[in-house]
Amino acid sequence: MTFDYSAIWDNRDILFEGLMNTLLISGISIPVGILIGVFVCLLRISRSRLLRWPAIVFIELMRNIPLLIIIFMVFYALPFYGIRLSGLTTGLICLSVYGGAYFAEVFRGGVEAISQGQFDAAKALGLKYGFYMRRVIFPQIYQYVFPPGTNIALTMIKETSLLSMITVAELTYAASDINGRTFTPVETFATIAVIYWMLSTLFLKLTQMVQVRIDVETAKPAAALR
Amino acid sequence: MELQFAEIIPKTGPMLWGALYTIFVGILACCVGILVGTVLLLLRNSRWWLLRSIATVYGSFIRGTPALVQILIFYYALAPLTGVNIGPFTAGIMAIGFNSGAFVAEILRGGLSRIPKGQWEAAEALGLSKSKVWLKIILPQVFNSVIPLLVNEFTMVIKITPLLSTITLVELTRASQMLYNETFRPVEVLGLAAIVYFVICFSISQFGEYLQRRSLKYRV
Repeated sequence: MTFDYSAIWDNRDILFEGLMNTLLISGISIPVGILIGVFVCLLRISRSRLLRWPAIVFIELMRNIPLLIIIFMVFYALPFYGIRLSGLTTGLICLSVYGGAYFAEVFRGGVEAISQGQFDAAKALGLKYGFYMRRVIFPQIYQYVFPPGTNIALTMIKETSLLSMITVAELTYAASDINGRTFTPVETFATIAVIYWMLSTLFLKLTQMVQVRIDVETAKPAAALR
Repeated sequence: MELQFAEIIPKTGPMLWGALYTIFVGILACCVGILVGTVLLLLRNSRWWLLRSIATVYGSFIRGTPALVQILIFYYALAPLTGVNIGPFTAGIMAIGFNSGAFVAEILRGGLSRIPKGQWEAAEALGLSKSKVWLKIILPQVFNSVIPLLVNEFTMVIKITPLLSTITLVELTRASQMLYNETFRPVEVLGLAAIVYFVICFSISQFGEYLQRRSLKYRV
């Protein structure tokens, strides 16, 4: 068969806009997800049962219900309660909350990897909870949190494609749109697959560069101590 | 708005079938995934550079593109490319299986790295052929050590199956979409679907954690 890439080239502005939307959605929802993750993680590791249990329930709900169902619930069910959100807002909220649950588990793993002595020492110095969490514990968990955190961020970038089902004009939606009008499924879907692939490879390369810098910085004081 | 489950419950027959269908598709896709994952593991440990790099590129592609796009490619692009007309069922299972295969390969690789070197040396010293070493000695141990992780991978597969609703496969998500289009009660229907998914995934992942605990105890 022959390939007809003119359909892609003629519609390049649609694809470009889709790519920009994908970048926008992941660019907002990943940082927000990390913030939610830190918050939920603090609740999850708290001593008080009243704070811990809601966090556990939230994390388990998010980890065991497919994202698509959550998106559909927010998009189709909330209007019955008078809350009408646009597709983009729905997507941003769902993705950040969904990613937040996964980030929370990653952060919890990091905090649990820190030895108990660090907590004891911080407490013995009379540091307040908020202060020692912020200045003693969290700076140490970077090395444990970074690799799995990158994975979750990458998953979130890929999951933005689900938003095409609620008419958000991101990359997959743009491809379906072009395919619907020109009927060139092979070319359009191959093109966006390659775009997604380049996006993720770029993202992984960038995070690797950051990772190397973090490793160097964390290695420095340890070397000085020796 | 008040929830009226009483109105929905009598009509949930298709959703029940959808749930069973989801599990059925999940099991088939998982089998394909394990098969693909094993082949990838063998390719990755191959002697030839070309086969090794094929496995690497495959893994990078699968992990770098959304599952939805892979499903769309399998469904819309495979038929015009190869001339083989596969239905949505085969396309969906293949797409999810090939997707899951890349992740299974990573899991197996983790398991393989825990096999002590002595196993290889002992097998070689006994004069076993290469294929026998893999099939009879290495792979059984690898699979045995990663069973809990494979169970977790199964929940991941179940969580991708809603995407099959885009290619007209009537699994749980599609069945509930049809039901709420009919009854116009998305709150109850989607809530029910979420509960069903939660029950399926949660019980499987708890089972996986139980296996993990048991295997840890067994090892100590």
